[in-house]
Amino acid sequence: MTGIPASLKPPPKSRKFRDRFIDSIELIAAFFVGIVAADIFISVLLRYFFSVQIPDAYDFGRLLLGILIFWGIAATSYRGTHITVDLVWSSASPRYKRLIDIFATLVLLFVVTVQTYTLFDKVKQTYADNVLTFDLNLPTWPFFAVAWIGDVSAVLLIAVRTWLLIVEPQVIEGEHPLRTVE
Amino acid sequence: MSTDAVALIGFITLFALMLLRVPVGMAMGLIGVSGYAYLVGGGPALKLVGQTSMRTVTDYTFGVIPMFLLMGAFVSTSGVSRELFRAANTFVGHLRGGLGFATVAACGGFAAISGSSVATAATFSTVAYPEMRRFGYPQSFATGVIAAGGTLGAMLPPSTVLAVYGIITQQDIGKLFMAGILPGILAMSMYIATIVIIGLVKPDFLPSGPRASWDERLKGIRDVWAPLVLFLFVIGGLYGGLFTPTEAGGMGAGGAFVLGVLRGRLSRADIRHSLLQATRTAAAVFTVLIGALLFGYFLTVTQTPQKLTAFLTGLGLGRYGVLALIMVMYIVLGCLMDAMAMIILTVPIIFPVITELGFDPIWFGVIIVMTVELGLIHPPVGMNVFVIKSVVKDVSFATIFKGVLPFVVTDIIRLIILIAFPIIALWLPSQM
Repeated sequence: MTGIPASLKPPPKSRKFRDRFIDSIELIAAFFVGIVAADIFISVLLRYFFSVQIPDAYDFGRLLLGILIFWGIAATSYRGTHITVDLVWSSASPRYKRLIDIFATLVLLFVVTVQTYTLFDKVKQTYADNVLTFDLNLPTWPFFAVAWIGDVSAVLLIAVRTWLLIVEPQVIEGEHPLRTVE
Repeated sequence: MSTDAVALIGFITLFALMLLRVPVGMAMGLIGVSGYAYLVGGGPALKLVGQTSMRTVTDYTFGVIPMFLLMGAFVSTSGVSRELFRAANTFVGHLRGGLGFATVAACGGFAAISGSSVATAATFSTVAYPEMRRFGYPQSFATGVIAAGGTLGAMLPPSTVLAVYGIITQQDIGKLFMAGILPGILAMSMYIATIVIIGLVKPDFLPSGPRASWDERLKGIRDVWAPLVLFLFVIGGLYGGLFTPTEAGGMGAGGAFVLGVLRGRLSRADIRHSLLQATRTAAAVFTVLIGALLFGYFLTVTQTPQKLTAFLTGLGLGRYGVLALIMVMYIVLGCLMDAMAMIILTVPIIFPVITELGFDPIWFGVIIVMTVELGLIHPPVGMNVFVIKSVVKDVSFATIFKGVLPFVVTDIIRLIILIAFPIIALWLPSQM
């Protein structure tokens, strides 16, 4: 038989689109990490060298932190790089590994869906209470809304991951064989 | 059903979920909210989810974690590990076991920037191992010293594990970072002493390398001065009260970025890689933090920490007996899960026992991190050992564990010293 090995075949269009979509979500989160670091770095320098403060540097820092974390959770959930206990999984056969992964991802999907539902209430509440930033009196709900969209993305991506684990497990398997967080 | 029964079922289900590879944070959140809903009501429980999640991710204080992660990512990506090793090697490489000394010193330097044990072990598996093998060091020693040196990452500031401990127990993260410095230096000294002893017991076991000239030494220092100055600036600023821990992290990240770009060590791809790396790790840590806080409400309504405190103090073992019991539990748990999961899962339950017994919370942070770090190198799991094995393919687990053994003994002695003399950990924070 002289076919091209599966690993060398170009990925189908749907997969390319999915990969680009996930990369974009990760890049959005990564961009916000950079912005938060720049916010803190510049505001500290201005404070010590010019006795000047960026208005709302503190509020911007914490609100952008919220955005980066929820968008980061979306990518982390899809990539399967959460902190897990792999003791049973690592000694299971490939079939049981897959079953464990499907179960774990379904639980993850349930938890993140509930979280997204309750976070929407929080966004609505912040809007209704007209919570403002300290210096510029900007409404904070748009920041919360952007963070919430990150959580919505997490639900979508976990659903995609669950689907792939069931019908196309080879796409997910072996993506991140070793990962740790600490 | 009584609250005790609910708590017991909750813990059993939590462990079952975690063993079935449900992410630790998600499992804690699910059990915490379900238990709270059963005991208090569904409405209040659901409200907790949204409020706690949003409050956690928008807490400025918690920004310390992504910021120090970003600093570590920038510095690691700009290739400092190789330079640290090379610089240390020029000074001690000619001694018997010199490459082992250089590995410990460079691991300490790298750990002080990266804040991660596993990252340190992974990095030096590629940097120091080939060099040690080239000079004829046995596989067991080479991998053992890297595994042990890697554990310095959780002790020397900025340590991600210590920061998370500070968040959970509401202790001053700056003081915790300071408390890790002297025990970290003690660890490095004791690892070096261990290598000296190995060299004395088995003179042919550890060869020595060529002596470097002073020109080479000065060049080595020139290569590493920038990250070392950055570390001193960040930690000095924290110690001197110039920055809050989050600001120190932001200054470290910004400083590492500027230095990396000015020295031509950070390309656009490197910057992107560093940002992504910090984001992924921060998201994973925050997921666990949210879960831990939700689980904390369940612990409060079931009064589990208070009941455990009453049980342990009623055993009549005395405060050090109870402490020993807790540490044995951590060492056993170290066979099952990694350091961060262990800290987040157990500290909310154990911490009230420690304060009730009159131990200093900052000191306990150092002790507990040291104990869980021991779990990174002791069999049968030892995450650092797995990491090294994944990088160094031609070595068996048995060989690495054999090489790690002398350092495990050293770590246990160090733990005893720190319990006997808490001042080693507490002196620096007391000067802040």
